[in-house]
Amino acid sequence: MSRDDETPDNLPAAQGATPEPVVIDVRQGMFGASDGGDTSGFGGLVTNVLFPAAAARPYGGYFDEIADQLERALVGGSASYAQAIERVVVDRGEMTVFVAREHILGVARALRDDPALRFEMCLGVSGAHYPQETGRELHAVYHLLSITNGGRRVRLEVTCPDDDRHIPSIVEVYPANDWNERETWDFFGIVFDGHPALTRMFMPDDWQGHPQRKDYPLGGIPVEYKGATVPPPDERRKYS
Amino acid sequence: MGIEDKVPAGILLTTVEYVAGYSRMHSVWPATFGLACCAIEMMAAGSPDYDVSRFGMEYFQATPRTADLMVVAGRVSQKMAPVLRQVYDQMSEPKWVISMGVCASSGGMFNNYAILQGVDHIVPVDIYLPGCPPRPEMFLNACVALHEQIQATPLGVNRVTAARAAEAAALAEMPTHQMKGLLA
Amino acid sequence: MTNQYVPLLFMTGIGAAFALLSVLLLPYVGPRRYNRAKADAYECGIEPTPQALGGGKVPIKYYLTAMLFIIFDIESVFLYPFAVAFSKLGLFALVEMVLFILTVFVAYAYVWRRGGLEWD
Repeated sequence: MSRDDETPDNLPAAQGATPEPVVIDVRQGMFGASDGGDTSGFGGLVTNVLFPAAAARPYGGYFDEIADQLERALVGGSASYAQAIERVVVDRGEMTVFVAREHILGVARALRDDPALRFEMCLGVSGAHYPQETGRELHAVYHLLSITNGGRRVRLEVTCPDDDRHIPSIVEVYPANDWNERETWDFFGIVFDGHPALTRMFMPDDWQGHPQRKDYPLGGIPVEYKGATVPPPDERRKYS
Repeated sequence: MGIEDKVPAGILLTTVEYVAGYSRMHSVWPATFGLACCAIEMMAAGSPDYDVSRFGMEYFQATPRTADLMVVAGRVSQKMAPVLRQVYDQMSEPKWVISMGVCASSGGMFNNYAILQGVDHIVPVDIYLPGCPPRPEMFLNACVALHEQIQATPLGVNRVTAARAAEAAALAEMPTHQMKGLLA
Repeated sequence: MTNQYVPLLFMTGIGAAFALLSVLLLPYVGPRRYNRAKADAYECGIEPTPQALGGGKVPIKYYLTAMLFIIFDIESVFLYPFAVAFSKLGLFALVEMVLFILTVFVAYAYVWRRGGLEWD
């Protein structure tokens, strides 16, 4: 499985250099580009969606300590740092660690239990859906906070493909993640293996579909007002 | 039994309607059904500045059994809709519904999969109160309009006649989608 | 000489009369508008958890215990005069009493084997 950051222009930059951002998507026009006949000029707009590339050591601040201590804590576990951690992204003062989904439980346990790391608080898991990244469509993002070690924060990001939507649940390590994982299941369809009771959280129990995915429609109804009909927001006239 | 349904039409029924309407309108007890932002304005209407207590309405009931009025204040999600209907069913007669705010009246700014597009899909509404959120003075206006409606409620035979007339009028009037050319 | 507490009695009477009148008159004056949800328990709008008949307030096991006690208490009530007058009664009475105890023992064995003596 090739990773999207192993092309020559996205490899980590040389030590000390600022890595260039990575283009993950190109969008054209406003409000979803389609046919011609656009007189507004917005149809010619081309937007590159940029995400930060893998960071190069030194990361800066306390991020290096976290990476080093995590490497030490993972020695002797089920996977080493090189196997478990796909890449580290440091952007705008925040550190994101991309973890392979098989090893998320071991990494989470190491982050919680190791005294130098001690990220005792998990602020929850959210989902993200990138339909254009084949093989890595669904992301689960965990935010961790260490109060004992001076308010340090780190973000874990786990990806899974759309045709195999399984991520191990970290409820045994962070029990408070229970409802957040239910929410991520409800809205994205990521099945958390080992979760005690994975049921719908916000939608009614018998709802079909996962609403926050990019391919889920907005579901509005047309509104009638004084003889005119205003369609729902995602079906309105396109300006491109 | 039910005396109010059996009184014969005429001066007696009119007097009973007047007395029943008068006593009912002056002590409408709302059920607490504040769901979202409009609930804050409903609470503000209960505060001394706007004072809903001068109408005898300060006694918000936590239980629907003893409540008269359900003020649906806020957006109703798909998950909340059966709960709302159950609470409405558990209120005793006579009961009224004010849908406060645009979200309760028509779905408001939330035209999507998760929000019920108007609470009148599930409960009969007496007063629609637009606003996002409506100011407390607007809520009091809605309460006054409801009081006038309560005072004018027909009972017994008159109620049956009024219901038939309302049904005939609704069947005869022009539907909304045929009202064209009004935006000019 | 009028007692100074008579007005208080009047007030109590009026209050009681009002309360009684309201409660007794209301089922006849008010309309009958029944719907299934009104008869359900109020559980903040969700379907109420199914409860035993009568709401599950007093567990049935108290009733069973009391009933069994009464039955075997009556048996011992019969045993006391027999014990007191035993010296004057002959073998016939002894045989009769043993048969009585055996009859009640059958009932006891039935209750015991059917689990009526289990508390939970």
